[in-house]
Amino acid sequence: MDSYDVVVIGAGNGGLTAAATLAKQGLKTLLLERHNIPGGCATSFCRGRFEFEVALHQLSGMGNPSFPGPLRSMLDSLGVADEIEWVEMRNLYRVVVPGKMDITLPANRKGFTDALIEKFPKEKEGIEAFIDLVYKFFTEVIGAFYMRDPEISPLKYPLYFKYALTDTRTIMDEYLKDPLLKLAVSVYWSYVGAPPRLLAFTEYAAMIFAYIEFKPYHMKHGSQILSNALVDSFIKDGGDVRFSCGAKKILTGQGRVTGVMLDSGEEVSAPYVISNASPMVTCGEMLDKEYQREDFFRQMGGHTIGPSAYTLYIGLDCPHGELGITETTNFICTHTDMERSHTEMKMRDNEPGQMLLTCYNVSDPDASPPGTTQIALVDLKYGEPWLSVPPHQYYDYKYLYGDKMLNVVEGLIPGFRAHIEEMEVATPLTHMRYLNTPAGSIYGFDQFIRDSHIFGALDPGIPGLYFAGAWVGGGGFQPTLMSGGSAARAVAKKIRQERG
Amino acid sequence: MTLKDIHAQIEGYDRVLDEVKTARRYGTDYRIMKGEVARVLDLLHPRTLSLRVSEVIIETPSTKTLRMVSETGYLPPFEAGQYINLFVETAGVRTSRPYSISSAPGMTAYYDITVRRQQGGFVSEYLLEQVKPGDRFESSGPAGQFRYNPLLHGKELVFIAGGSGITPLMSMIRETTDRGLDRSIHLLYGNRLESDIIFHDELKERADRHKNFIYTPVISEPSKKCSELTGLLSGDLIKKVLGSVKGKNFFLCGPGALYDYCMPELEKLGVPLNRVRREMFGSPVDITSDPGWPQNVKKGTRFAVKVKGKGDLSALAEEPLLVSLERAGYTVPALCRSGECSLCRVKLLSGKVYQPRGAHVRASDLKYGYIHSCAAYPVSDCEVLL
Repeated sequence: MDSYDVVVIGAGNGGLTAAATLAKQGLKTLLLERHNIPGGCATSFCRGRFEFEVALHQLSGMGNPSFPGPLRSMLDSLGVADEIEWVEMRNLYRVVVPGKMDITLPANRKGFTDALIEKFPKEKEGIEAFIDLVYKFFTEVIGAFYMRDPEISPLKYPLYFKYALTDTRTIMDEYLKDPLLKLAVSVYWSYVGAPPRLLAFTEYAAMIFAYIEFKPYHMKHGSQILSNALVDSFIKDGGDVRFSCGAKKILTGQGRVTGVMLDSGEEVSAPYVISNASPMVTCGEMLDKEYQREDFFRQMGGHTIGPSAYTLYIGLDCPHGELGITETTNFICTHTDMERSHTEMKMRDNEPGQMLLTCYNVSDPDASPPGTTQIALVDLKYGEPWLSVPPHQYYDYKYLYGDKMLNVVEGLIPGFRAHIEEMEVATPLTHMRYLNTPAGSIYGFDQFIRDSHIFGALDPGIPGLYFAGAWVGGGGFQPTLMSGGSAARAVAKKIRQERG
Repeated sequence: MTLKDIHAQIEGYDRVLDEVKTARRYGTDYRIMKGEVARVLDLLHPRTLSLRVSEVIIETPSTKTLRMVSETGYLPPFEAGQYINLFVETAGVRTSRPYSISSAPGMTAYYDITVRRQQGGFVSEYLLEQVKPGDRFESSGPAGQFRYNPLLHGKELVFIAGGSGITPLMSMIRETTDRGLDRSIHLLYGNRLESDIIFHDELKERADRHKNFIYTPVISEPSKKCSELTGLLSGDLIKKVLGSVKGKNFFLCGPGALYDYCMPELEKLGVPLNRVRREMFGSPVDITSDPGWPQNVKKGTRFAVKVKGKGDLSALAEEPLLVSLERAGYTVPALCRSGECSLCRVKLLSGKVYQPRGAHVRASDLKYGYIHSCAAYPVSDCEVLL
């Protein structure tokens, strides 16, 4: 029987950074991936002359080499940051409500503030005070939470203790009036999937602060290059990787993890397992019954499954400029009611309320062949309504929502449809197929205020078993990549302690 | 003070904590969803199918349809134009071949695959000569990108098929006519001899019955009594038959020669390339005649291929690496066998392979040495990681 220090199940973002971190620390590590390619969401696929990015829109937490963000620091420590050509974006995003608002917000504090004031001059004071609050609040979050100040107290961190569990809507309502303005400052809610009413101000401020201070990034050749680079780093550091090889069971004995049984039935021994699979599958399907702890399932039961997405991957036969597309990140909203948009995420056949149109070529001219354009058009959708579609009617339903999305885009960008050369449609069931997550979730659990880490991180309560990925670390590239690093450091620390 | 005591001082802590407690007390026990993901995916996208031949239908002297029924009582849905990759074991080698499904998606009882004899094709030979009703096969689930996208492909379609290239298009024709779908199809179907035409009677009958389907067979080596159009599928012929090509979407399927001939003809007619879809067609008959093939590597050359941690084999330069691996008994996941789907992706650790143009390899895979083994030919000794 092959034996390892650690087995990592799943080569998604969290699994990859976990494996690479462990191998870097000299631990004998096996990485398992049921697909033939690493990355999970962080991948791409080819159609015609296009290579489509699957999931990455704006990478947060990078910063530049002289002012590195937390993600760049981690990737640097794994030796992969320099392997990749990073693409920095000038602007955060453009928000368009046809006929009502068209605003582009730069990725710097002054430009962000000025652009808002220019559009909403009457609310100048409120805008300045709101942004000031975001910055002051988040500076306190850094000290109180990220730096773990031992002298933490409400006196030292008044804003943190006042607002850490307040919803974003309440605070916006205090400072801002126009619904268009509120939409313009909080449209990033869809990067979490929680509308302002359900989004903790901590999460909101973190996003605005991180994207403005560390800038939004993409990478040449798309996110698959990061996945490939992490595998490469892992292999060079002596790691073993097996593709097209899933894990069937987590082996246990004497109260702890002892190894993993592969799909083939082969067993490998390892005292530590980091699972990048969902905790439902990890604990509900891969662990023996006696190791399924009631308290763990009760804790997990308090969380709800987060959204999936309906995505159109589009290759245009013309340069983006020809259609007047000037920004990488475009939020297209047919109304300003973000709570309604969240409700609509639970429907299959509503009229699209808020969509994200990412045009990669604006920041990276090489995102598609010369004279063409690569676009991803996304609408967050919970997977549940799709689970009840009769399989033999699936392909009739599959395209209906995309047609509505394209109609909205066509209204805004006349001629768009006629320039589409290649297009692939991904429904929540498509995401489920490739990610193997309950209801095709792309962000793990919902990340509402009650899901805050403050009320305890998910812990399976089995010595030797750890999680990495969106289900425990939050959805999105930066959180999932960072979660793998944290899990690996926790395991490495344990092993060092055991070995004295 | 514990962390919890500190958190308890955050404004609203008790209110949110109550919510957390309620959610945990009355939340979902996710154990009841055990197997749910697999259940949904097995109905929609099963990885493998267990099939049995229920009937063998003789279509032409060189073509048979194998009617495949499910051994488990369920066949997943597919989009007209898709294929299954059929696993076969013949002459001691376990390999696979993709075959388009020619039956309509509405037929949930069986998949028809229609097989024509290929020059030197040992799998088609086996399927045509040896397979009989009752024989069992494994296949992939339905896959493939050669399909009609209602968001993209409009309502006026032109199908251009050569020989056995009719099979995916036949599924689309059957679906469109059976379901009365709001789109029109004009099929131009080229064959060498009249007797080579597959589905001739059914195509004629469907064209008679349905206003939105027009059938134009074209014969290149006609007999004296041939009453069909004759010649090649030239631009002139296409224009004469169709009238205007404006606003029409073209679907091409045939052997490589059909694309080589028809693509420039369509271009001459002014058909924009983004209005032409092509089905892939497996490995080229002779890779060494590819314009980019290294001249110093002669046909019949053998190279030593090391499979990291597993063993060694000897591989012919003109055979895809995937085939050499299969001959040596290795199992490599494979699906399209045409360089497109990337399921047979392996890492090239050392050595050189020839990858023909048109293989859809990701830019990041090129950088890190991943190859599609179905569209990679060894041109030196190599080492691969499976």
